[in-house]
Amino acid sequence: SGELSCSLPNPRNVHFESVNMKNVLRWSAPEGTGGEVLYKVKYLVYGVGKWIRKPECRNINRTWCDLSSETSDYEEQYYASVKAFLNGMCSDWIETTRFNPLTDTKIDPPMVSVSSTERSISITLTAPEKWRSPEGESVSLLQVYPGLQYNVSVLNKKTKKRWFFSVSNNTLIVPRLEPGTAYCVSAEIYVTTPLLHSGFSKEYCIATLKDK
Amino acid sequence: SVTEIRSGFTAIKANIQARDPVRTLSILSYPHSLHKVQSSGRCCIAHNLFNFYVDKVFKHCKTEDSYINRKISSIANSFLSMKRKLGQCHEENKCMCGQESTEKFKQILANYEGLNVTSAAIKSLGELDILLDWMEKSR
Repeated sequence: SGELSCSLPNPRNVHFESVNMKNVLRWSAPEGTGGEVLYKVKYLVYGVGKWIRKPECRNINRTWCDLSSETSDYEEQYYASVKAFLNGMCSDWIETTRFNPLTDTKIDPPMVSVSSTERSISITLTAPEKWRSPEGESVSLLQVYPGLQYNVSVLNKKTKKRWFFSVSNNTLIVPRLEPGTAYCVSAEIYVTTPLLHSGFSKEYCIATLKDK
Repeated sequence: SVTEIRSGFTAIKANIQARDPVRTLSILSYPHSLHKVQSSGRCCIAHNLFNFYVDKVFKHCKTEDSYINRKISSIANSFLSMKRKLGQCHEENKCMCGQESTEKFKQILANYEGLNVTSAAIKSLGELDILLDWMEKSR
């Protein structure tokens, strides 16, 4: 009767992978299968009555599906689900846990730009942007997380002495430095509630000007 | 404080939400998200929600897992102290309840009473991050 029998093993580890609220659903192929399996994806806004199919992820053989635009309202929470098909057989629908974009995303480190005078370094920090669709409006993560702060590390390359600063605004001037000396700066983003850390950026090094 | 509640909830979130199989119903977010409440009504909603969690939710959230139960009771204690603080605002008339916030809270109670008490309590507990996100955003 062409009825599918759902005895195919299930997709595994179905979860959202989110960076700066670019929210991608990922999973692993059912045990013992590989690239020949096809998948369907659906998602649901938590508390709203219906599952919604994602047409661009229908009968795909890759094991990911970008649901960023479907989950872009970070005041809502979401579930997503995947079903596998192979040789007339199918698996069950396998769901993620409840996904909260606000607390479950990872944040990239800030962009760091530095300039120097003889005895000071000026550091400018830029928080990453929230993911947006091509026609979407640019939103900084600073607007999403009002309590966002920066932890900044400054290393004197000669003496290996390191300072740490915690700042809320995005500029920092480090005074009373040695002329003609190389300093390396790295920074991370830190949100207190919900608790989020970006991890430190790579180091940006600059030398203070020599004494005239 | 909110940070203590947040870290306590984060520790049990996956466990508690896994006990709530109903995806298509929400206590706090149906039909409209808390974020749609006007700023003038926020204190009233927060005050009512803290009473709601202390008086109705926590006492029905016993699980077979002692670790989870300990976390729930520490969250409940944090709620009690915040409930007192908000209570003072309410007594000093700084926490007015307009029609919109009254209607919103009535809807929350109706959503709660629409489920059996244990399911409603576990669902409400699993939605704590909805409350916390809204409170932190409204600060």
